[in-house]
Amino acid sequence: MTGRGRILVVDDDATLRETLAEILSEDGFEVRGARNGQEALEQLEEWRADLVVLDLMMPVMDADAFSAAQQKAGRAIPMLIVSAAPHLLEAADRLGAVGVVAKPFRIHELREQVTRGLGLRQSSDSPE
Amino acid sequence: MAIHQEARAPRATRQAARSPIRSPDPDHRPDEHTFQLLVDAVVDYAIYLISPDGRVQSWNRGAERIKGYRADQIIGQPISVFYTPEDAAAGRPAHNLRAAIEHGHFTEQAWRVRKDGTRFWADIVLTPLRDEQGALTGFAKVTRDLTERRASEEHERQLAVEREARSAAEGALRARERFLSIASHELRTPVASLQLAIDAILIRRERGTLDTQRLDDLLHRMERATARMRTLLGELLDVSRLSDGERNLEVEQVELAELVGDVADRFAEVGRPGRIATRLEPVAIDVDASRIDQVVCNLIENALKYSSDADTVDITLSKTDDGAVIEVTDAGRGLDMGGVDLFQPFGRGANVNDTQGMGLGLFIAHQIVHRHGGTITAANRATGAGATFRVFLPQRPTPQSAG
Repeated sequence: MTGRGRILVVDDDATLRETLAEILSEDGFEVRGARNGQEALEQLEEWRADLVVLDLMMPVMDADAFSAAQQKAGRAIPMLIVSAAPHLLEAADRLGAVGVVAKPFRIHELREQVTRGLGLRQSSDSPE
Repeated sequence: MAIHQEARAPRATRQAARSPIRSPDPDHRPDEHTFQLLVDAVVDYAIYLISPDGRVQSWNRGAERIKGYRADQIIGQPISVFYTPEDAAAGRPAHNLRAAIEHGHFTEQAWRVRKDGTRFWADIVLTPLRDEQGALTGFAKVTRDLTERRASEEHERQLAVEREARSAAEGALRARERFLSIASHELRTPVASLQLAIDAILIRRERGTLDTQRLDDLLHRMERATARMRTLLGELLDVSRLSDGERNLEVEQVELAELVGDVADRFAEVGRPGRIATRLEPVAIDVDASRIDQVVCNLIENALKYSSDADTVDITLSKTDDGAVIEVTDAGRGLDMGGVDLFQPFGRGANVNDTQGMGLGLFIAHQIVHRHGGTITAANRATGAGATFRVFLPQRPTPQSAG
């Protein structure tokens, strides 16, 4: 289960970020973490991710500012919004995100969205 | 008013001359008869003459309509019958006549009484009349009934009050919605961490990769998440207690130095001795002791939160002429509010990233102090790093606006 893709988890909550990174690595993804949009931008300078799992409200740099900076840098990495904020669908529209997951969530909900966001087939629904 | 009428009279008389009422005066000056007819025809104003000793001398249709007396019922009566019993007893009738003499005229809006005893809101103009030698011959009195206008103004005022109350209620509702929305957001985050740790344990157990160290690690994270939830729930409980006992301060006389000293000692017992220095002047004051305890507690917690282990938090208590001042000074990073109100719910400085709690502690302190009729302010220290929070409490709680 290696080489499924690179995921950057951006969340200011350390417990959530670390646990989510662990689970996704064990699922076979290459995972890194960032505490806010600013740290995420710095990581992406040198490490090209296939998907950014992004919290909306973070200190230093929030999702909107991060998304704007990404565009400015000419990078179009798919974003998956994972947040406890209200009006998630509106935010996803605004940011052009590939999906949303509301906190709190069960891991299978997030896995489905990650799989979809990466354009991968889910192992459970691919009989051929 | 009577002066104006005298000035206007010639024009009115010219019109009158074209009517069947003919003036016998060749130079068209109004004779008494014509003038009386004119005055008498006015129905919207009570216009009448008063003798120098304050009795009714003439009466028009307007006067009859507004006040309810016929001419034969009122002429010769003292004008005090038009006044309310209170005003009459206070000597207003004579006072108003004197004021008219003194100032050349007298105007007021006040309650007057009709024949049937009902009251109306009167707009009155009282003018002294003098003969060619300047001797007082009486007074001209013009009265208008403004009851309806006053009622509609009263209605407008009432509407404005209701509009204001409604907008305040809507504001409170919006604030409440915002509060609930943020509180729920803050609680979802640790619940998400907890859920994820549980899922991680389940996954590893399924795969048979759950060793003791992994389990310990995940349990530790779960403990961190529930600790955060406990803090948040504690703050929410404090806020709800605040609105429960909203109007009920349990006020008693308290030696504030003892109270503040006790709170400081509690923090020292938790195992951070030496970090809190107190300089407390005795002040006996009327407060709700348990609430002020919470204020001091929240301020010290806030100061410690933004201090390093080596820093000292200074607490001073001093007596003033009208109450007491508590100051809590830290040596932390200071305030950088960036337009945020510290004392509003969830208000945090722009330089605060590592948040513990929801940012409700200062809001709660502010509410309690405000309810005592006191004030709470924050400022950066003039010299060196850090901030000072200053609480003024009046000698006893004073009434203040809600909020």
